Order: sequence, then C-alpha cells, then structure tokens
Amino acid sequence: MKTFWLLYKSEAKLSMREMSSVIFGIFVPVGIICLMAFMDPDNHSLNTNFVAVSTVGICSAGVMGLPLALSSYRERKILKRYQVTPISPAQLLFAHLLFCFTISIVSMLLILGVLITFFQFSYVGHWGQFISAYLLVMVSIHAIGLIVASLSPSEKATGAINSAIFFRCFFFQEQPFHMKSCQPVYRKLPMSCH
Amino acid sequence: MSKQAAIQVHGLSKTFGEKRVIDDLSFTVEKGTIFGLLGHNGAGKSTTIDCILGTQKCDSARISLLGRDPKAERKRLFQYVGVQFQESAFQNQLKVREICEITHSLYENPLNWKQALHEFGLASKLNSFLGTLSGGEKQKLCILLAIMGNPQIIFLDELTTGLDPQARREVWRYLLALKDKGVTIFLTSHYMDEVETLCDRILVLNKGKEVASGTVADILAKVNKRNLEEAFLTLVGEEV
Repeated sequence: MKTFWLLYKSEAKLSMREMSSVIFGIFVPVGIICLMAFMDPDNHSLNTNFVAVSTVGICSAGVMGLPLALSSYRERKILKRYQVTPISPAQLLFAHLLFCFTISIVSMLLILGVLITFFQFSYVGHWGQFISAYLLVMVSIHAIGLIVASLSPSEKATGAINSAIFFRCFFFQEQPFHMKSCQPVYRKLPMSCH
Repeated sequence: MSKQAAIQVHGLSKTFGEKRVIDDLSFTVEKGTIFGLLGHNGAGKSTTIDCILGTQKCDSARISLLGRDPKAERKRLFQYVGVQFQESAFQNQLKVREICEITHSLYENPLNWKQALHEFGLASKLNSFLGTLSGGEKQKLCILLAIMGNPQIIFLDELTTGLDPQARREVWRYLLALKDKGVTIFLTSHYMDEVETLCDRILVLNKGKEVASGTVADILAKVNKRNLEEAFLTLVGEEV
C-alpha cells in the first residue's frame, strides 16, 4: 500500500510539473463554465452546462491524459523496468488511472463551486442520479482511454488518436453547449449533431 | 541442480519472425561470481537477458534463478534479483529522492539509500530531476536502484557504456565490492579491459550462438591470442 501511495503521489507530481493535464483537465473546464455562465446566467442553462462541462474534465483526463501517459511509459520501457521488481507494472498504471479520476472529480467540484459561489447556481436534478451517472461516464471514458493506449502502436499515434476523439467531442458536439447564442455558429460546422 | 548455481539456462532459443536471434544457448553462473556475456551489437545479449528475466517470451528454454522459475515466482524472485537495463527507463521529471523512495518501498530488506547516495557521490543530487543528471550520474543511480533490495543476483546490461574512464573505474570498484559480499553479477559489455578485470567467466555470442566460454585465460588459449580484444574479434569472425 505504501508503494501504491508513493506511485500515486509521484504520478500527481509528474502531472503538476508537466502541467498539460492540469490545464486541460481543470483550468479549461472552469474557464469554459465561467464564460458560458457570463453569457447565459439562467439557472436552467447553468444546469445543462454544469453537466456538460463536467464531462469536458473527464474527457481531458480520460481521453487525452491517460492514453498518452500509458503509451509513453510503454515506449520508454518504464513498465518493463517495473516488470523486474517485486510489484506488477499494473500498479503504476492503476496509480495513474486513479490520478486521472482525481483530476476529473476535482474539475467537476471546482466547476460546481464556481457556479454556486459566483452564479447562484442551484442544481434542479437528483444528486444521487447525477453522481451515479457521473461515475459511469467517468469509468466509461477512461475505459476508452485505456483501449486507445492498449491498441495504439506508438506515443505519436496515441496523440493523433486522442486528438481525433477529444477535439471532435469538444468542438463538434452541439448537445453539451446549450448556449442559444452559439447554436447558429455550431449549425454551420461540419459533423454537428442535429 | 547444483547448490552453487545462481543462474541456470538450458536450451534457450528465440526467433523474431524468420530470424533466429538466440540459438540453443546453455550456461550456468555460479553464486558469488561475475559472468560476462560478450558479443557485437545485435548478437543477442540484451534478448538473452530479457528471456532469462521473463520480460520476453523465448521459444524454448529451461531457466532458473536461485533455483526458482522467473515466470512462475516473479514477485518472490525479484526481491532477490536486481536489474539495470541498457536503456535508462525513467520519468525524467521525477527527482532522485522520489525514485529512490519508490524503489526502496518495493523491497522487504532494502538498503539505506541515503547512505548509498553518499557512497556513490550522488548526495548533492538528492533533489535534482532525473533528466538533469549526467550519463555517469544516471548509470551510478541505475546501480543504486538495482541493488536497492540487497539482491543476490544483479543483471547489468552495458552498464559502463558512455562513461568516462574515471567513472568506469568507480563502477568496477563497486561491483568488485559487491562480489566480495557474495553477490552474483551477470553483465554484458563491449569493453574488453572491463571484462578482463571483472569477469570470472565469460561467454562469447556470435549471431545468437555460443562460440566460446570459460575463463579469460581459457578463451585466450583457445584462439591463441595475447589479449581479449583480439581473441574476441577472431571468435566473431572480424579479425583485422
């Protein structure tokens, strides 16, 4: 357990030092929700946007961060090094996965905190349902990330696949971004869902 | 199995596609000795180490480390086996202290890593990122990590490649001290002076096949040469 905790801490420190997973997983979703709340502060819209932007944090951690880290560990033979120790390389992978879960949850809690503190947000749904749905989405998205990391032949290929999945969700999905002002723009983009 | 055998390999073969990179290799390494595996680049040295440790599947072989099967008893066995691979596989954004703490936590009977850092002259690098270490410092850290669990066997793959002469001699001194403590060392190297100084027995590989094995004196006598470098070149068919 001590080893697992040290691995988890080191994965957290590595991510902090590298910064991209923190920027895309936490700062970007919080920035987006602030922007959207300023443009459309209606509580019904805030509810929709809260749920939608929470998934941006999950996607950043699960589809962008997770597969890239695992691919690079495989390519740089870091997993191989753990194969010749008394622990399994799976512990390192699991520590990283747990850190990605942490990023997702921290991102969602910060979004919620910002909305409640600055935009008088009140959630109209059922918290129990939201939490179960959130956990299901979090596990599913990270499962996609794990599949990408497993099937991708190299770190570069993983980067390309991640971008194809993540940015397609991010830019071309009309459903999460329910700002009336933006809908005419989204309708003109290719691959938008109507 | 002999009680004195630390490593036993029998009938090790490995093919990649059509190419046979190791061909029916057999040898035994006695406890408390230094064994050198020699061969030119691509001769199959690293693959041999991978197959012995179970990080690559071999086509056929009977392998035992300290009398145990490295695949079936991996967790138990690697409490007593330390490994340094040819590639320094680290997350460069980790600090020396962090990688030492993690590696220390893996073993039941670890050494005092702070004291070892002093002995290796790395104490001042405690809070340095791994990516900022020089080649020599990285290699010394690799040895420290490989011996962290007080192992009975250490595998070192081209440990001193890229080191300056002073750093190489420091590493030699440390390896000989480990041997005196009864540790078995399996190494690969391209430096014949290193092999002559350190190794009790050597095995020369050419295209995955054993071409000679024995003590340095045995090898010299076999090909009637005065130094190991000439003997090695003769054995691998690249005599100049």
